[in-house]
Amino acid sequence: MIKAGSNLENILTNGQFAVTGELGPPKSGNYDVVREKARILKGYVDAANITDCQTAIVRMSSLTAGLIAMSEGVEPVMQMTCRDRNRIAIQAEVLGASALGIKNLLCLTGDHQKFGNHPQSKGVFDMDSIQLLGMIRQMRDEKRFQCGEEIKEAEPRLFLGAAANPFADPFEYRPKRLAKKVSAGASFVQTQIIYNVEKFKKFMEMVCDLGLHEKVYILAGVTPPKSLGMARYMKNNVPGLDVTDDIIKRLQGAKDQKEEGINIAVDIINQVREIKGVHGVHVMAIEWEQAVPEIVKRAGLDKRPEMKGFEPRLGARAEIEDAVKKAEQESGRLAPEIDRLKNEVTAANAIAVKEQDRVSGLSAEVERLKKEVRDTQLSMEQKEKEVSRLRAELSQAMSELEAVKAQAASGQSIFVQEQDACETDFIFDPSGGDMTARDQVILNSLTLGLESLRKALGLNEDQFEAIKRFMEAQFVISTGGRQSPAVSAAPVTTAKAVESKPVRVIDTKPAQSEVVADVVAPSIQSQEDLLRKEVVNLIAKANVAMHKKDYETALKTFESALAIDASDVKAQEGAKKARNAMGTVAQPAVSSFALPARPDEITPEQWSFKWLVRYVAQGNVALSAGDKSRAVEAFRKALAIDSKDEKAVAGLKNAEAMQEGAISPKSEMSVAIQPEAVAPKSEPVLAAVRSEVQPEVKAKPAMSAVEAKPVAVTSVAAPVSAGDFEFAREAKSLTERAGAMPANLFIERCSGSIKPVTIGDGDKAVTVGGMNTLPFHLFEGEMANAPRIALDVLDVAPEDWPDSLARHYSDVIGDPVKWAQKSVNEYSAEAICFSMVSADPNGLNRPAKDVAAVAKAVVDAVDVPVIVWGCGNAEKDTELLRELTGLTGNKKVCIAPLTDANYRGLGATAMALQIPVVAATPIDVNLAKQLNILLENLGVSLSSILMDTSIGAVGYGLEYTYSVMERIRLAALTQQDEKLSVPFICNLGREVWKTKETKQPSSELLGDQERRGIMMEAVTAASLMLAGGELMIMRHPQAVRLAKAFIQGLM
Amino acid sequence: MIIAERKPLSEILGMIQGMHRILVLGCRGCVAVCSSGGDKEVAVLASALRLGAVKAGSDMSFGVQTLVRQCDPEYLAPLAEMAKGYDAVISTACGVGVNFIADRCPGVRVLPGLNTTFYGANLSSGEWREMCAGCGSCVLHLTGGLCPVARCAKGLSNGPCGGSVGGRCEINPETACVWHRIHDKLTDLGEADRLMDIMPIKDWRTAGHGGPRKRIREELLP
Amino acid sequence: MPDKKKTATVKGFCCNYTARLSGDVLLEIGIAPDDLQIERLACTGRLEVTAVLDAFSQGAEAVFVAGCRHGSCHNVSGSKRAAKRVIEIKKTLQELGIEPERVEMFLVPRGESEPVVAAYKEMAGRIDRFGRFHKE
Repeated sequence: MIKAGSNLENILTNGQFAVTGELGPPKSGNYDVVREKARILKGYVDAANITDCQTAIVRMSSLTAGLIAMSEGVEPVMQMTCRDRNRIAIQAEVLGASALGIKNLLCLTGDHQKFGNHPQSKGVFDMDSIQLLGMIRQMRDEKRFQCGEEIKEAEPRLFLGAAANPFADPFEYRPKRLAKKVSAGASFVQTQIIYNVEKFKKFMEMVCDLGLHEKVYILAGVTPPKSLGMARYMKNNVPGLDVTDDIIKRLQGAKDQKEEGINIAVDIINQVREIKGVHGVHVMAIEWEQAVPEIVKRAGLDKRPEMKGFEPRLGARAEIEDAVKKAEQESGRLAPEIDRLKNEVTAANAIAVKEQDRVSGLSAEVERLKKEVRDTQLSMEQKEKEVSRLRAELSQAMSELEAVKAQAASGQSIFVQEQDACETDFIFDPSGGDMTARDQVILNSLTLGLESLRKALGLNEDQFEAIKRFMEAQFVISTGGRQSPAVSAAPVTTAKAVESKPVRVIDTKPAQSEVVADVVAPSIQSQEDLLRKEVVNLIAKANVAMHKKDYETALKTFESALAIDASDVKAQEGAKKARNAMGTVAQPAVSSFALPARPDEITPEQWSFKWLVRYVAQGNVALSAGDKSRAVEAFRKALAIDSKDEKAVAGLKNAEAMQEGAISPKSEMSVAIQPEAVAPKSEPVLAAVRSEVQPEVKAKPAMSAVEAKPVAVTSVAAPVSAGDFEFAREAKSLTERAGAMPANLFIERCSGSIKPVTIGDGDKAVTVGGMNTLPFHLFEGEMANAPRIALDVLDVAPEDWPDSLARHYSDVIGDPVKWAQKSVNEYSAEAICFSMVSADPNGLNRPAKDVAAVAKAVVDAVDVPVIVWGCGNAEKDTELLRELTGLTGNKKVCIAPLTDANYRGLGATAMALQIPVVAATPIDVNLAKQLNILLENLGVSLSSILMDTSIGAVGYGLEYTYSVMERIRLAALTQQDEKLSVPFICNLGREVWKTKETKQPSSELLGDQERRGIMMEAVTAASLMLAGGELMIMRHPQAVRLAKAFIQGLM
Repeated sequence: MIIAERKPLSEILGMIQGMHRILVLGCRGCVAVCSSGGDKEVAVLASALRLGAVKAGSDMSFGVQTLVRQCDPEYLAPLAEMAKGYDAVISTACGVGVNFIADRCPGVRVLPGLNTTFYGANLSSGEWREMCAGCGSCVLHLTGGLCPVARCAKGLSNGPCGGSVGGRCEINPETACVWHRIHDKLTDLGEADRLMDIMPIKDWRTAGHGGPRKRIREELLP
Repeated sequence: MPDKKKTATVKGFCCNYTARLSGDVLLEIGIAPDDLQIERLACTGRLEVTAVLDAFSQGAEAVFVAGCRHGSCHNVSGSKRAAKRVIEIKKTLQELGIEPERVEMFLVPRGESEPVVAAYKEMAGRIDRFGRFHKE
């Protein structure tokens, strides 16, 4: 009776010799592995066992892999073990398998989980293989579930198989156990791998004795040993497997073990098929499916009967392939048509593109022409303006000439003209040659005007020369022939001389203003308003002189003003003040020069003594430096104060005796740094200062070991003058010094660059950043902008500033506007940092409104950029800086500090006004980056952010600051970390000057207090600039000068 | 007899970490016989724990008591008084004792000192083997008195599997194949025919898969 | 409960036959009572596991058991049993994270003191090697 009608069942029931194979599913979800294995077996086996997690190793399930095999045209024998499922799961699985067309089921107990890859798992073993057979047979034949419940329809139709091991113990019981399996429902049996054919024969005899060979189809298990090692392993490690010594020997003697393995399998097949009761073979090529076809062929079993009863329900491969084939044919038919259409489209596209290009070319041309017309119009307008301006200038000059002429004619000149003074030369003499001054002014303006005219009109030299000669002629005529012919012989020289120092004509020499006043006062048609103007002018000049403490000049100028208008109250008062001031200045009768203004708290005697000491010291310094003239000058000054001073007398003697030294370095640096109290023996001071400054300069070329060696100050090649200081600059470029070393060995260019950020408005705006190299690595890239220095201005009188710092601002402290102006005018600040400390809620807690008003005044009073720095309290700063920006409007003040606590409010303000901001974070790379990102997310452009990563002064965490800045800069330049590519602002002055070292008084151990502070600030600044600092906020003017010299020396 | 073995000391020390006074409570029942939880073992356990506490620098102190049995209410009754002042009781009874204390003694924190392993016999001094699985439906009359449920790795009902070689189990060659022994035993007894009978699928409800088991003897109920 | 009195750094459990002379000798050769304490048992077969563990708990850094050589035990197998218990104690020490070498069984000739002194020296050396496990 047919049980399920599978191909295997059909073959066996027809009495044909069956061949089954084995397909081990993969330890993965890889569909293709199963397909590949199925394709190998297809046509060589009647059915293939799909193992069920063989040896308890997790693999693709038997049912699933069986379905894949079916789709490839291979009939599966689904294996089912009792290890992993209880009766509920097994029956469910069997129903599903049956539904999908699986018709063979091999019932096994299953290998113990101990042998697998999950030995910890709970073995189910709800039943054993014999009970399993019975359960499935009951489902099939009695249409009942194991519990007895009826299966109402579509009971599973399965051809049931079992396993038998003829080689396990107890041997005599093995056929009986097989009998139990048969009686439980097994229709076919696959045996354990047979190598011991003799023992198998005995087993089969016993099986036949029990009559089982007529009840069950027995398929002999055959496995080709893949190698000697595999055979040995099976012999020694697999219980129930009997590998004979003969097999081992055959493999040992084989040249090709695989080949021999196949031969062994074929031999065994040939032997067992002769044994009574054997109905087929089960070829298990474990992980060697490729061997199956060869074995089957050699055993002469390759002509497999046609498949019958194979009815896959899901995705039959052949059908799919048919459909694919049809689709391919169809697509082949359509392909030429598609190609033709494609070509047409391409051609049309090409034409469209060409047409587009032509059109856009035309419009570009039109744009260009439009622009040209616009430019031409603009330049014409500009030239017209220039011409009219020059005309106006010319007519003014002419009228002035007229005035002079008239004056000359009226003989009202109050100065005596010395004819021979102009006869020899017309070169400007700033000391005030009596004749030239007035003419000079006129000629100067004329020449300047002419030069501008020439440029504006684009005249060539000849044309210009012609006009100039005409002018000179006119001049000679109008001055009444006062000019000698010699003058016109050297007009070019005149022009040049005047041009080169035009400003000094009026501004710098007080003596000059007097003369000019004299000249101008009577000249302008005696008109009241012109006179008045002159008086005002003179008073202003006099005030300037007062401010410079040049009381003598001031007095003279006031007197000049009074000469014009004796009733002018301001001039009267000014003259009085000047006289008083002159009286108070300690001025020894003999002195030919004036001592600087004396502070009130010092008596005149003390003051002159101080200066005596200072001059002697200066003299000694100059002497030691070999600067004779300076030494003589200094000692003379000292003697002017006290002609009997022994040291000064001796010094002067030495100085005069000295040969003019070959080296005469400028000594201002040492002088400037010397505090009043320094004793005459100041040579070591100079040396010390120099050696302190020198290493910084050398930091730049510190490229090789050779340069790291200290170089004597005097031996440094070309000195670069930087203000008052000299910094040695390497005479040879790095490439020269590198010698034959290829540049790529020491040049490491960076791929990133720092965004340039501009603060302030107009000409004095300051731009920092923009470098594409590490600081001062000019041999590797460019520093578009040098580091800049801002001076710190406080909105209240600082309480904790040491006198060594405060004394430089003593006259302005407490008046922020004046302080800022002084910083700019006297100390050449390139920017001002206005620190609004008084707003601090923990301090003075002044209302935001008041503080902002003061800040506004400061912003208005200076033309350099202003950084307005809040008090550090996030809330108060938001209020304060908003108030302030409301007052300053679009002025590009830079607001600071923006922290993670207030960046939202202030960032929005900055964005609205398009003003730069300072993003302040506590000394951490990631925090700095995060704040930049937050600001950018808010909409603030990275090119308006300056980073303040917090500063530590030298000795107070400088190295930490340095390292953080360096890491940020390296990330920006070498890793293109855009969020960190913004310049640094370093508010270092306040850090340096709060250290105790700047406040401890001078002592033998610690040296001079002021110099200590200056050096601390300068060294901090220099270090931070080397780390990448771009905008330095500093305090001490002297430290600023050192820092500037440092920058110039390295740029 | 119920066989048990002492838990690793580190595990027990872990349970009592942070406590101060601990009572180590022995049982003179099965665990005393199998030398895992009687008077002697309780004393050694307490000494070992004390040494562990000394090593850890903790100030734990240990009391020691042993009950006749921990699985009878009348023997358990004194525990309520005994446990006063202790943070926890480490019971060295089988799991039954621990459960029973937990059930019967409110306010006592009971901790297991042993792992309860199986129902076994004492082969020789210091050696015990599993003999019964307590499956609730004994088939020993069919198997020559040898239990395939407790003593076969796969719990087979119908003869030895293909891994039985030379009378040893494939799981562990030190273990005898119980089906091989059943075969020999039944053959000796002249009952080899039984080996041809197919044993039906087992009803596992009695083995506890039907829920916690209980037994009632009406006539003995109070 | 065992009392908390401090024991010596090394504690020795000796049987009547191995310890009778040795105790005096040890004192004679200048080993201080704080360094070594000898507990005399009638036979090492009488050795209690708890006694050794408690010795450690009470301050001993190492313990040795000196019993008769196999074959010369007055009670036939007393020192053999002691040796087995020492093995069990070693396992317990290991579980507790204490070097098992801190306890050792020495089989010594009866009535001689040198081997016991040698046992003490061996254990004192081991303490030097391992350091103290008791918290101060």
